[in-house]
Amino acid sequence: MLYDLSRADVRVKWLVTCLLLTFGLAYGFGGWMVALYAGFSPKSVAATYASSEMSMPMPPESTVVVEHPMTMSQFAEVAPHQVDTALLVQDTHVHVPMYGLIAACLAVVVLGLRMSRRTGLALVSLLFAAPWLDFLGMWLTKFLAAGFAWLTILGGWAMAAGLMIVTVAALWQMWLMKERTAT
Amino acid sequence: MTTLLRAGLAAALLHITPTVVLVDRPDAVAQLLPGADKFFAREVHLSDADAHKLHEAVDWSPPDGVLTFYSGRRGAGGALVGVLEFVRVDTPHGPLEVTVAFDTTGAVRGVIVTKATVETKPWVQEALRAGLVTRYRGLKPSDSPAAAAALGGAVGELPLYMAREVDKGVARALAAYRLFYQTR
Repeated sequence: MLYDLSRADVRVKWLVTCLLLTFGLAYGFGGWMVALYAGFSPKSVAATYASSEMSMPMPPESTVVVEHPMTMSQFAEVAPHQVDTALLVQDTHVHVPMYGLIAACLAVVVLGLRMSRRTGLALVSLLFAAPWLDFLGMWLTKFLAAGFAWLTILGGWAMAAGLMIVTVAALWQMWLMKERTAT
Repeated sequence: MTTLLRAGLAAALLHITPTVVLVDRPDAVAQLLPGADKFFAREVHLSDADAHKLHEAVDWSPPDGVLTFYSGRRGAGGALVGVLEFVRVDTPHGPLEVTVAFDTTGAVRGVIVTKATVETKPWVQEALRAGLVTRYRGLKPSDSPAAAAALGGAVGELPLYMAREVDKGVARALAAYRLFYQTR
């Protein structure tokens, strides 16, 4: 253990508590938004990320024009939210660095927790691996097979699990664990 | 500032850039193709060569290589009312959808920003309040839209940035119409 959060100054404990609760709040709304735009089932995640190019992989040799009638109500049909390659490049560029920073903040908290070296290593690995799995799933879903949507779901839940484990352990050790058991 | 920081944090924590509907598509269609009672979707599946031509013109490729033009007609004779396109523009702050309608002479009848994102909505609305879309009316397919520049100092930097993105959407619609609707 590089430092001991359970013995830290109360201001440090309060800072860590506020940080973890803020992350928790943001993750809560993150989950809500994922439910609104992508869903939590492999099918809905695949519908969001799988490339529709899969159904028409090659452009025609010459331009083809098809015309069909449609009704006004068809304009209102809600298309599933789709993330195409350009948007996924942008999302990856914007979100992965931020996920890295969040994982780093949580890992610094882990370094101050009383746990075995092996558990600490596993937890730090989980914190960084989760977003990797999340985005790896999105890219594989887009370019290899829709079945990889489960990897994105696994990555998302792993991020939630990492935050939950660190939060519960930190709050317990900082505020609830009795000094005699802490020593 | 606090709102910006919150929006930044929310955007950074989530994979999906949340889209906000500013105007429902049926409402946009009713406004831009007034009186039309029959509608047709013309899908143009671009060949490599044509896709390249469009890319050269406006540095853009439509999703899946397909352009879709929606025409509205009215009455028993099926008189053409106009044609419209829904064009998506990906910005660093999330996608915009710009709906561009042409009258029967091929001039722009109107432009409506139909979708933005949680983050960009207030910027887009400020640009719209400053009269952005009225400046597109009457443009011909060979024209280059420059409505954002005309806003000058009337709006802040971010609304001006979004106005340029709307310009981009209109330029794509004009090029697509010129190259693949007028000539076919």
